[in-house]
Amino acid sequence: MSTAANTMFGGGRAAPAFAATTGELFDRELILKYMAAGAFWLVFAPTIGAIVSIKFNYYDFLGHVSWLTWGRLRPVHVMGVVFGGFSTAVIGLTYFIVPRLCGVPMYKPRWGHHIFWMWNIGLVVGFVSLALGYNSGIEAGEFPLWVSIPVEIVLCMLAIQVVVTIKQRTEPRIYVSLWYMSSAYIWTAMNYAFGHFILPFSMPGVNNAAMHGLYIHYVVGLWITPAGLGVAYYFLPLAAKRPLYSHKLSLVGFWALAFFYPFVGTHHYIYSPIPYWTQTIAIVASMMLIIPVWTVIQNFYGTFVGGWKNFQDSYPAKFIVIGALYYLLGCFQGSTEALREMQRLTHFTDFVIGHSHLTVFGTFVIWATAGMYWVTPRLARRELYSKNLAQWHYWLTVAGFSVMAGDLTLQGMLQGTMLQAGTDFVESMVAMKPYWIIRSLAGITMDIGAVLGFWNLYMTIQHGKAIPVPSGAPADYLPEPKWS
Amino acid sequence: MSDKDHHSESITRYEPSGIEEKHGIIPMWLAVVYAAMFVWMVWYTIVFWTDKG
Repeated sequence: MSTAANTMFGGGRAAPAFAATTGELFDRELILKYMAAGAFWLVFAPTIGAIVSIKFNYYDFLGHVSWLTWGRLRPVHVMGVVFGGFSTAVIGLTYFIVPRLCGVPMYKPRWGHHIFWMWNIGLVVGFVSLALGYNSGIEAGEFPLWVSIPVEIVLCMLAIQVVVTIKQRTEPRIYVSLWYMSSAYIWTAMNYAFGHFILPFSMPGVNNAAMHGLYIHYVVGLWITPAGLGVAYYFLPLAAKRPLYSHKLSLVGFWALAFFYPFVGTHHYIYSPIPYWTQTIAIVASMMLIIPVWTVIQNFYGTFVGGWKNFQDSYPAKFIVIGALYYLLGCFQGSTEALREMQRLTHFTDFVIGHSHLTVFGTFVIWATAGMYWVTPRLARRELYSKNLAQWHYWLTVAGFSVMAGDLTLQGMLQGTMLQAGTDFVESMVAMKPYWIIRSLAGITMDIGAVLGFWNLYMTIQHGKAIPVPSGAPADYLPEPKWS
Repeated sequence: MSDKDHHSESITRYEPSGIEEKHGIIPMWLAVVYAAMFVWMVWYTIVFWTDKG
C-alpha cells in the first residue's frame, strides 16, 4: 500500500492527516466513560458466569443464600453479558463510529450523557432486582418493568440519534457499519418492547413459547449480530490498514441477514406442538444463514489477505480475526443444530450452551473488545499501558474460550448420544462432571484474561505514556498509538 | 485490466473515518454456495412442509 494510503488509514505517524479532515465530531470523554463502564460489565458478567458454572460441579456452592442461587445468578450472567458488557461497549462505540462515518456530530449529543447514566443505573437496578428474585420470566428479557421502561426509553433515544445523524450526514454514501447499526437500534427498540411489555402479559401456552423463540433470537440476530457486525466492519479495514475487500459482499451479507434471521425463532422448538411447517421454515431459515455468515467471513479474510503484517502489532486486528473464526464455527454449529436429526441429538444438552457462547462471547464480545482496543488509546491519547497485559488478555481469552467451546460441544454430543442410547438422564448428568470442571476452569481462565485486559485499558487511560498532540489539532484529533 | 476488473477494484473512501472499500466481487465459490443453498431450501421446504416428509 502506498504511503498516502497508509496515512489515510492512520498508519505510521502521519496523524495530522486526521486533523485536517476531522472536526469536533465526537465527545472523547463520553466515549471513554462508556469504554470504562463496558469493561466493568465485561468483567462482572462473565465472573458471574464462572460462579454459576461452579454450581454444576459443587451443587451447594453458595446455595444457602437465596440471591446467590443458580436461578437468581444465571439471569444476571445472561443479561449481564448481553445488555451489560456487550451493549454498553457497543453504545459507546456507536458514539464514535456514527459521527465518523456521517461527517457530522451525533444528533442531540447531550443525550449521550443522559443515556449513559440511565443505562448504567438501569443495569445496576436490573441486576439487583434479578438477584432479589424479580424476574419477568422471559429468558433474555428478564428485567422487571421498573428497569425495562427506562431501558426501552434509552433504546428509542439511541435509535432516534443514529437515524437522524445518518439523515443529516455530509458523507454521500452509507458505509455498511451504518446499515447494521441503524437497523440494530430500530429492530431492538421494537423487539425489546415486544419481549418486555407484551410477551410476559399475553399469549399463554405454546404461542408464548413460539413468540419467545422469536424474541430471544431477535436479541441475538437483530441486536447482537448487526450491532457487532457494525463494529467489526468499522474497525476491520482500519486494523488491517487495507480497503474493505468487497462492497458487494457487504450488501449481500446485510440483506441476507435481514431476510432470513426473522424466521429462525422456532428452531429451538423442533418436535414441539408448534405446527410442523413453522418448524420447517425455522430450519430452512437457520440453514440459509450460512449465506450471510460465509459472505461476511469471505469479506473479512479477503480484507486481511496481503495485510497480515499489520496483524502482528495490532490487538484490534487480532481480536477481529479470532472473532471471525469463532463466528464461522459458531454460526455453522447454529445452522446445522437446527436440522431435525441434529436437534434430536443436541437438545437438552450443553451443545446449545457451547453454541451460544461461541456466537455471543466468542464472536461479538470479542469484536466489541477489538473496538475498545482501537478506540481507548486513541481517545485517551496515550500508548497502550502494557503490551504484555494485552498479550495475556488475548491468549488467555483464546485458550480459555477455545477449550470451553470445544468442551461444551463435545460434552453435548456425548450426552445426546447417551440419551439416544437409552441411558438414564441422571446417569448422563453424572458422566458430564469432568466436562463441567473443564468448563469452569476454562471460564476462570477467560475471566483472568478479561481482568488483565480491561485493567490494561484502564491503566492506559490513567497512566499510559502520553502521545504528543500537534499544535492546532482539533479537540477530537486521533493519534496513532504504537501497539494498537 | 478489463473495465469489469477496473470496476471491481475501484475504491471508495469514506471521510472523515479514513475507511476505504473496494467495489469488489462475489467470488465464484461463494456464488456456488448461494446457488446450492437455494436449491436445498426449495427441496427441503417442499419435502418437509408436513411431517409426511
